Amino acid sequence: MKIRKSRISATKIEAQMAPMIDVVFQLLIFFMLTLKIIPVEGDFNINMPIGQQATESPDITPPPIKVRLIANEDGSLSGVQMNQRQLGNDGLAFDRLNAEIGNLVGRRDNPFADELEVEIDADYNLHYRFVISAVSACTGSVSPKTGQVIRYVEKVKFAPPRRPEG
Amino acid sequence: MRYKKHESTVIEPDMTPMIDIVFQLIAFFMMVTNFEQTQADERVKLPSDQLARPPITSREKVLVINIGFKRDREGVKTDPTPYVFEGDVQTPVLKYGPRLKEEKRVAEALYGPGGHKDMIIEIRADSETPTGLVQELIKLSQEAGFEKFSLRAKQLIR
Repeated sequence: MKIRKSRISATKIEAQMAPMIDVVFQLLIFFMLTLKIIPVEGDFNINMPIGQQATESPDITPPPIKVRLIANEDGSLSGVQMNQRQLGNDGLAFDRLNAEIGNLVGRRDNPFADELEVEIDADYNLHYRFVISAVSACTGSVSPKTGQVIRYVEKVKFAPPRRPEG
Repeated sequence: MRYKKHESTVIEPDMTPMIDIVFQLIAFFMMVTNFEQTQADERVKLPSDQLARPPITSREKVLVINIGFKRDREGVKTDPTPYVFEGDVQTPVLKYGPRLKEEKRVAEALYGPGGHKDMIIEIRADSETPTGLVQELIKLSQEAGFEKFSLRAKQLIR
């Protein structure tokens, strides 16, 4: 009996890479189509109490700082006032407002620095972005050295709206 | 003259590096993709500000109200009236009161009586929205029973 000595040579099994690439491309296209780039958003808390407080606080609270925002007919900014003081209507108006609020808060002889409240009285048709700039100017500033946010006034509220006639 | 027979050779590129690159891209997209359903409407062009920082802790009870204008592809307004956008539904701002009362009922059903009181209303309003309308919306929300509000803006990075 002749025993056939069959040589079993070791065969290397090579996996087919092409189907794997197809699946991987499918996944890639899925993620590319579902990707949604959203810009970072932040927010400003505002204090809108309903009516008057039921119990009067025994502590004496300082009167709110009144910020008046005047609008042109097209909704653009006509002027910024803080406690009847004109701050202009150019690009630096809100920087001036920020500086004034910073001076008020930063004064060491001001015992009510933590209790300060700002009331924003804006014209009805003023564009919303100017109000955000005003709220931001009153809320704080960014330190140019450290980049940290320095908080000025925490309590910001709105005066009642005045709807135009007609 | 004897011509040598040249066998045609098919060049088979090695696919392994291509798979490595594609895996890199997939890993990038998997890290970046956010599947969370955000209530931010893209039609609202938010104002931007340097101080607009995202809250440190994520809020649980939030109602997002998007106010914007109908615009064409170039971004020009096609209607001067601002609307509250909720998906395909557009409601004029002054007529949003009943919807807010509905949201209050939903909040009470979810969180119990008084559950709406610590719910924060995040107002995402377009830059050109009249301020008075935002204030009217806040007033309507207060009439519906909500007490906490915040104004959203894009973070301006200088």
